[in-house]
Amino acid sequence: MFNFAFSSMSEAILMESQNGQNHGIYVWSVFLIVFGALILTFIIYKNKIRNLSKKIK
Amino acid sequence: MIKKFIHQFASPKTYLKQVDRAYSYIFFTSLSIYLIAIFWGLFLTPEDFVQGHSYRIIYLHVPASFISQSLYLGMAFASAIFLIWKVKLSAYLVRSIAPIGAMTTFIALVSGSIWGIPTWGTWWAWDARIISTLILFIMYLGLISLHDSFTNNEKADKFLAILVLVGSVNIPIIKMSVEWWSTLHQSASITITQKPAIDPSMLYPLFASAIGFTGLVVCLVILSSKFHILDRERNKSWVKDYV
Repeated sequence: MFNFAFSSMSEAILMESQNGQNHGIYVWSVFLIVFGALILTFIIYKNKIRNLSKKIK
Repeated sequence: MIKKFIHQFASPKTYLKQVDRAYSYIFFTSLSIYLIAIFWGLFLTPEDFVQGHSYRIIYLHVPASFISQSLYLGMAFASAIFLIWKVKLSAYLVRSIAPIGAMTTFIALVSGSIWGIPTWGTWWAWDARIISTLILFIMYLGLISLHDSFTNNEKADKFLAILVLVGSVNIPIIKMSVEWWSTLHQSASITITQKPAIDPSMLYPLFASAIGFTGLVVCLVILSSKFHILDRERNKSWVKDYV
């Protein structure tokens, strides 16, 4: 269960499947979108709260 | 008695005190679980026989999709509490959850579309599951716009709560769309009544990613609700002491 599915970093980036297609582009795009959206939302709300707190003070 | 209990423990001030105390624990625990789950899912699970490596998108797509619907149910629950017992905090929560729900539904739609390219050969299909999820996304945006278009916040809260309850009819439609209609989207692999159709080596990281992602979304709801409470209660004396 805990064996690496890839033997090198480049293999993990490309994610070449048995049918010969590289699926890395899809997987890593989704990874970037999800983490990007999460980080951006956290930053936006932290800033909104900070700015509002300054105004209230 | 229930009303008294709810009003006593659901005051915005008490709520902020409680969530401030819990925030760091939830955030760091969820982040650790999520990062471990994503590493596990992307690097340690075996390749899928049919979908190849593209199936790894499941660890990012499914938690977002699950949460986007759960958040709406949470909004519906809070709306009912607001309409029945007039709890202000519930109205604040409904407005606070909506943008986070829109964000998670956006992730579900985009990640699903990208996953569709290698598996279905198309990024979009006018299929029941995708359309009902798109409607959910539009509903979230519509609810935010509607609330912000009012100048009277109390009226806006009431309208929003009623509309959220009416719109909750879409949630069972999303859930059952793959059973009721012939769709490109596969039917549920994990159900309460049956054994999961996914191998345990792929299933455990999926559970872990769903738990971690849920925790992070809870943190976002806390931040969003904190902002809306401070904004709406800014003229109260306790808010000045709080900030």
